[in-house]
Amino acid sequence: MAKFVTIGERIHCISPVIRKAMEERDPEPILKRAKEQLDAGATYLDVNIGPAENDGEDLMKWAVKLLQENFDNVPLALDTANKKAIEAGISVYNRSKGKPIVNSADAGGRIENIDLAAANDAIVIALCSAEGIAKDNDERMMHCQNMLERGMMLGMEPTDLWFDPLFLVVKGMQEKQMEVLEAIKMFSDMGLNSTGGLSNNSNGMPKNIRPIMDSALVAMAMMQGLTSAIVNPCDLRLMETIKSCDVFKNNTLYADSYLEL
Amino acid sequence: MPFNRKPQKFNASIKEVTIGCGEKAVTLGGESVFPFYTFDGDMKNAPKVGVEISDMGIPEVAGIKAYYEGCTTMAEIAKKAAAMEGADFVCLRLEGGDPNGANKSTDELVAIVKEVADAIDVPLAVEGSKNVEKDAELLPKVAEALQGKNALILSAREEDYKAVGAAAGLAYDQKVGAESAVDINLAKQLNVVVTQLGVKPESIVMNVGTAAAGYGYEYVVSTMDRIKAAALSQGDAMLQMPIVTPVSSETWNVKEAMASEADMPEWGPVEERGISMEIMTAAADLASGSDAVIVMHPQTVATISKMIKDLM
Repeated sequence: MAKFVTIGERIHCISPVIRKAMEERDPEPILKRAKEQLDAGATYLDVNIGPAENDGEDLMKWAVKLLQENFDNVPLALDTANKKAIEAGISVYNRSKGKPIVNSADAGGRIENIDLAAANDAIVIALCSAEGIAKDNDERMMHCQNMLERGMMLGMEPTDLWFDPLFLVVKGMQEKQMEVLEAIKMFSDMGLNSTGGLSNNSNGMPKNIRPIMDSALVAMAMMQGLTSAIVNPCDLRLMETIKSCDVFKNNTLYADSYLEL
Repeated sequence: MPFNRKPQKFNASIKEVTIGCGEKAVTLGGESVFPFYTFDGDMKNAPKVGVEISDMGIPEVAGIKAYYEGCTTMAEIAKKAAAMEGADFVCLRLEGGDPNGANKSTDELVAIVKEVADAIDVPLAVEGSKNVEKDAELLPKVAEALQGKNALILSAREEDYKAVGAAAGLAYDQKVGAESAVDINLAKQLNVVVTQLGVKPESIVMNVGTAAAGYGYEYVVSTMDRIKAAALSQGDAMLQMPIVTPVSSETWNVKEAMASEADMPEWGPVEERGISMEIMTAAADLASGSDAVIVMHPQTVATISKMIKDLM
């Protein structure tokens, strides 16, 4: 099995520093966040430019070139509701370190992002929900099947759809957690890849608790077959847990310095 | 139903490490397929054969003595070794440095290293005495004496990798062999720590150890197999260094290669057994993933180099 893929989530326009940098096309804050995440062991970097209705195409091109030129063609997840901006980003994207990821499609209004990924030989994150959170795993798997069929009809490799069960917040939806984990097992049994915004689970919890909850969940999810997650790679405990689970899963050969790699 | 060939493709490859200078320099590694899986893709560089000589002179094996007949100095021995049919490089083993053996001084051994290096134009590997304390002192001096020769220094081990790795890989720009004894986790760990010293991955080869065929050899196979699998299918950069395996030092000491024909008449001539042991082990090492083997007998060198040619 391949190593777990971490997608660093910290280049996000919800952060005031990043938003300002994106507006002003100021490279420094973005490069700094990128470097921190790569040093911490991120494989992919997510580039969230928000809805970016006005200058999304120009902004995404600028961000893709900026990051890939400075970090040896680091592979990226292009994250925006603006489809034209994703296409613009892919048009300047270098694939030598991995295909671009379209973040994201769902089984509802954003299903056409699968078409976009298929047309551009990209990976797509396929969120197993349509209008609102799936009420149970029957619904989740129905969405999964629909999106899988759509992708394959368009000539995609099944492994290029990374299914997102939609991680749910513990505070409020504690009783749904095992269901999410069971959905991951079902993806895995079908030979499919999976990912998701894992830290959703700990939303609203005290800052010192979140890494503990995130680490426990990632270990359980990896046991179920989760192949990737969108995470904060600067969370040391989480990254140590992922690296340790990669050893247990025989995804990587153990060496005493494995945490430094 | 027609048979559709489906090559096994990897997006990773073994790093290329070049030893020696000029026309006779050899490049180890570079393959992105399993050993001799030429039906899956190009191996890029054929595995190489090194000829072992020792500071202790010519071993008491009739065929080897006959080959080196007339050689009185280390320079002459080295020249003759380099001229052996099928030889790609020469490996000088400084076994006389062992404090529990001949205990030759570092100065004396470095003088031999220089004599050998000056006599040949093929790449040179130098193997230490196997004594950790002695090698930590000796091998840095060897690396210094061989400046500009792009030699392979064998080996940096868990106990002395700092001294040997820093001298050979950093100060004097040689190639470093990282040695572990049939232990995959240590093999990876050594590559990590030698890299962390600042040695470039392209300057590191692995000696992951071997056993003579029949002496726990299945561990050697699984170790090399697992390393190549992790290097290629998992893209593990800390295992993508080529593997160099000294064979003769293992195979000529086992009872099959040593017991006299008088003691073991049913086993046949002793030299033939020694050659068989060396050939079988070297062939198995190459089939398991070694990018170079180091052997001693002219017949082994000829046989193994022919095997490589025929399989490429």
